[in-house]
Amino acid sequence: MSQDFRINNCGLINRDKEIIFIFNGKKYTGYKGDTLASALLANGIHLIARSFKYHRPRGIIAAGVEDANGKVQLYKNDTTEPNVNVTEVELVEGLRIESQNCWPSVSFDVGAINNLLNRFFPAGFYYKTFMWPKSFWYKVYEPFIRKAAGMGKASLDPDPDRYEHRYEHCDILVVGSGPSGISSALAAAKNGAQVILAEDKPRFGGSLLTDNITIGNKNGDEWVNDAIAELRSMPNVIVRGRSQVFGYYDHNMLVMFERCKDHLGNPEIFTPRQRLWYIRAKQVIISTGSIERPLVFGNNDRPGIMLASSAKEYLKIYGVLVGKKPIIFTNNDTAYETAIEFKNKGIDSIVVDTREASNAGIVNEAKKLGIEIKFSHAIANTSGYKKVSSATIGKLNKTKDGFESLSELKCDCICVSGNWTPTVHLASQSGNKLKYDSNLDTFLPDQSRQEETVIGSANGTFTLKKSLEEGFNTGFKLSNEITNNNNRVPIPISDEKEYGEHDKFWCMPLPDKKHYKRFVDFQNDVAVSDIQLAVREGFRSIEHVKRYTTLGMATDQGKTSNLNGLQLVSDIEKKIVPEVGHTTFRPPYTSVTIGTIIGREVGKNYRATRKSPIHNWHEKNNGVFVDAGLWLRPRYYKQGDETLHEASKREALNVRKNVGVCDVTSLGKIDIKGKDSAEFLNRVYTNAFLKLPVGKARYGVMLREDGMVFDDGTTTRISENHFHMTTTTAQAANVLSHLEYYLQIVWPELDVNVTSTTEQWAGAAIAGPKSRLLLGKLFPNEDVSTEGLPFMGYREFKFKNTIARVFRISFSGELAYEINIMSDFGEMMWEEIVKAGQEFNIQAYGTEALSTLRIEMGHVAGSEIDGRTIAYDLSLEGMLSKKKDFIGKRSLSRQAFMNEGREKIVGVVPLDKKTSIPEGSYIVKDPNAKLPNPKLGHVSASCWSVEYDNPFSLAIIKDGKNKKGEKLYAVSPLKNKTIPVEIVSQHYVDPEGKRVRS
Amino acid sequence: MLEIRCPYCGNRSQNEFAYGGDATIKRPELNTEVTDQEWDNFVYYRKNPRGNHLELWHHISGCRQWFKVHRNTATHEILKTLEMKENL
Amino acid sequence: MKRNSPLKNLHQTGLYGNYKNQNENDLLVIREITNLKIFQIVQYKSSTLNIDSLKLDGLSFPVHAGFVEASDTTRVQWNAPNTWIIISSNENIIDDIIKNFHENDFAITDQSHSRAIIQIEGKKALDVIKKGSPLNLNDFKKNNCANSIYHGITISIDMLDDDLNKFNIMALRSFTGSFHHAITDAALEFGYKGL
Repeated sequence: MSQDFRINNCGLINRDKEIIFIFNGKKYTGYKGDTLASALLANGIHLIARSFKYHRPRGIIAAGVEDANGKVQLYKNDTTEPNVNVTEVELVEGLRIESQNCWPSVSFDVGAINNLLNRFFPAGFYYKTFMWPKSFWYKVYEPFIRKAAGMGKASLDPDPDRYEHRYEHCDILVVGSGPSGISSALAAAKNGAQVILAEDKPRFGGSLLTDNITIGNKNGDEWVNDAIAELRSMPNVIVRGRSQVFGYYDHNMLVMFERCKDHLGNPEIFTPRQRLWYIRAKQVIISTGSIERPLVFGNNDRPGIMLASSAKEYLKIYGVLVGKKPIIFTNNDTAYETAIEFKNKGIDSIVVDTREASNAGIVNEAKKLGIEIKFSHAIANTSGYKKVSSATIGKLNKTKDGFESLSELKCDCICVSGNWTPTVHLASQSGNKLKYDSNLDTFLPDQSRQEETVIGSANGTFTLKKSLEEGFNTGFKLSNEITNNNNRVPIPISDEKEYGEHDKFWCMPLPDKKHYKRFVDFQNDVAVSDIQLAVREGFRSIEHVKRYTTLGMATDQGKTSNLNGLQLVSDIEKKIVPEVGHTTFRPPYTSVTIGTIIGREVGKNYRATRKSPIHNWHEKNNGVFVDAGLWLRPRYYKQGDETLHEASKREALNVRKNVGVCDVTSLGKIDIKGKDSAEFLNRVYTNAFLKLPVGKARYGVMLREDGMVFDDGTTTRISENHFHMTTTTAQAANVLSHLEYYLQIVWPELDVNVTSTTEQWAGAAIAGPKSRLLLGKLFPNEDVSTEGLPFMGYREFKFKNTIARVFRISFSGELAYEINIMSDFGEMMWEEIVKAGQEFNIQAYGTEALSTLRIEMGHVAGSEIDGRTIAYDLSLEGMLSKKKDFIGKRSLSRQAFMNEGREKIVGVVPLDKKTSIPEGSYIVKDPNAKLPNPKLGHVSASCWSVEYDNPFSLAIIKDGKNKKGEKLYAVSPLKNKTIPVEIVSQHYVDPEGKRVRS
Repeated sequence: MLEIRCPYCGNRSQNEFAYGGDATIKRPELNTEVTDQEWDNFVYYRKNPRGNHLELWHHISGCRQWFKVHRNTATHEILKTLEMKENL
Repeated sequence: MKRNSPLKNLHQTGLYGNYKNQNENDLLVIREITNLKIFQIVQYKSSTLNIDSLKLDGLSFPVHAGFVEASDTTRVQWNAPNTWIIISSNENIIDDIIKNFHENDFAITDQSHSRAIIQIEGKKALDVIKKGSPLNLNDFKKNNCANSIYHGITISIDMLDDDLNKFNIMALRSFTGSFHHAITDAALEFGYKGL
């Protein structure tokens, strides 16, 4: 077929360029400026898909996002996207589309058997079937449903496109560029406001592009072009087409997605495909227009039956005839424009009007042109399986619940109009409660809760003159409130057609004894009978009816079906619509790609990563990294083809025998200064800090106010009123916030300053019996003897042109020192350490070896300080001062914390000295006890003890202090292990702590 | 995404802040007798109002000051923000 | 020992992104700023000194949020109430600080090695920043500064010049890799020159 339905000399498309696309394997042509929908229609194609449940043939019903049926699988370049609506895709080279939900083809679909069996698939059948026998669910029903369910196919390949974000602030955001939107943008911009005008479609102007009107003696599209050009020239205005505002959030923040690339033939590589805007606006003007409603009648879902205004849009914007033998079926005056537009192109149509008469100017114009009108008539049924071919029309009886006579009318398309529904979604999302207008038979915005104003037909204003007035006045008023300027733009005169009243009748009766399906929601196949069934079965609330029937729950979110459904329920229940209520409008307005929401947070950049200044050396020396919060820390350094276990064992053993060096930069460092510093530390830590001597470090434990251990670390007194606190890596940020909280809120009388210096200093720990020798070699002019630098001592040593802070503290339990040097010198210091350490067989060690060392020493860390343990549980009760009050102390007198037999930390060794105990295993007395097996405790950390060459774990178990020597079991249901164990002291190695003090 | 007026830095987006709970809770003085009930009230018990709530926020990616926000928990409307030393 | 700047192994010179159809002089310029002295100065609550009476390197201390007092070598940024960040290319600024800011009244913390600073300059500089920061920059002028976030990373933005659209953006040093990636990635759409 070659565009038999395209007519010349009309439309806003560019006929210079013919573009080829493929639909279901066949090639077709269209023009630049077409959508896939207009190009398909130009080629006479209406059958696009099969409906979701009954697999009925379906066609395009609209020209925009409200279309319910035109969903296809789109293939472009090497990507594919499901559920793309043909009305929303701009035609470019290289597009291939395929019908969804049908097999083997849309023309011959085996699934249509559902339609014949439709009696068994009414609304709610999901809830009544597939229930028995219970065993059939997994093996029979679920696989079958899974295959039948869904529409398109998701791509399994990574999305190759870039998606980006943008934060923007403005004075006034105008959503929608119809007459009221453009007017308000002009008025506000000329009055000095920062304006953003957002339009979803590629063309600005909305109804101005299709209606027969003039503004200031210009045609609609002329006026629009001039207005947009003017707006674009102003520096205080951002104009964006192809940009949909899809969500209204708190404090006037709205989100918009901008389609940047899909319409371009040859876009730049780094242009994002879509951009998500977060717009914070002082005021929002919602000028989103309204959507036409279909009429409900027998078999009203056939391909070729569409909205009358959309048929007009296809003609006026795309130069496409949706049919050559149209019936216009309406209950109001607006559809007559479509009939007139057809007539102007030489196509005769028959208007079927449910009203008895109409004296509106536009109807008289139609009569003058010789268009045949059948008042008091309605369509009862249609025929034509794959494309509508005729309609059964009849004269309505007096009470409009039946037909007096019926006759056949041949046609090739039916353009329906059942009145208009203002697009109030954004207003509703912003909290505007909406009110029902019984004159217009629709919901209109009511009280605003945020700074928004709805204007134009979205506000129930259906004349051009009033829309322009609303636009210019609102734009001026809001901008004046913000800028205090008074530059008023005069409102241009306009000329439009005159419309009258609509008929409050939209759901056609069935002829005697006929049971034709009358569809309300096309996409989910919800018919009048389904809604009647739901109400009969007791579902009265509209929220229940919606969910039971799935009315309005498809990808079109009920744009053409919600209100009809609502009115049907109210008619059945003999209530008025506002009593029935309406379902909640939620973002997004239409489907948004997940890529757009994610932006650039993909792959490795999903979150930020933190690296030590020494990271480069670790990489070059085969460091294998592990995530420690946001930090990347070396877990082990792989030599040859070592496993993790082999490497960490080697590294840990080398620390115990010689000396190792570990990067400890990530541990939190907090600089504390001020005359009340010591007092503050004394309140924060459980142990005494007031009299800590200058040049000494002290291990400290801090609690939460509920008594649980919060963090531990060492704090060093550098001078009288200057302390250096360290924290664990994981809690560094939390501890800083904790200190700031107490200083700013609880004890503002204390004069202390706390600042994070984690980043200022790189840290290397040298540990092992030869560490003192190494230290002496690094600082040959300093006294590093045990008298010169005693255990827990602190010194500042000169190092080349800078200073090094040296702390004699140990996490590994060996003789050890932590050297801090300013970060820019970190890597060089490390290299010096490695070079100097060669003669002592130095090896770098990672977090795995570090864990091994501290576990077999019985030192607690994050896996024990998990927010559920108190100092007693961790054998730190000796750190709790009896003389002073401190954060969390009051909680320690809780009964549970003082119970006999409370959990305490112990060591655990497998009896076979071979089997490693998985972390998280439970400790039980009898592994075969009846479930639930009483849990004595859990294993918090496991390692391979390099000192004893067997597995060793730490566990926190009930009555731990009395369990030494007992034989129990470690059970891991997840890893399917049951291991006989012996309970020992948690201080497996060097229980008297001799090594650190050597 | 809320917009919160930090009393020091001005209007900022919610993602620069961390929430800190009920601002009306006062920690009992150190070194004073506190009954179990009084201590439990401080550590655990919180009203959970549907309506106006005076609460703490921390401007962690800004000036790092703690301050008070009077916010309606049902509508998110922020009525006022105050420095720690100010009162409603 | 020479200072290893945070971006030493990361930042590359050259032309990147959509630079092909543009005049090289119109491109964004991205460079690392290194070897600066950075100090945090906090005035203690109990200090009765009037900050207006003090100067550093000839510069006074701004008392309102968002402002910077600047000279060619030194910038004094408002960071928080009674808290300022000093950024200076003057190697000996610490001598000046110790002389004029006594430790009884002020807590002085050296942060010279704790930050990575990326400078971005050009017509599209604001557009790059808007991609990742929710800060309202529409009223930003020369010598305005603010702390905010960029793609989740806490940063400080300092506007050096409004004619040239020149900004210094500072982040914690450990975030350098992610920070640099975020900024340069955002600049690809416009094309940039790495110097």
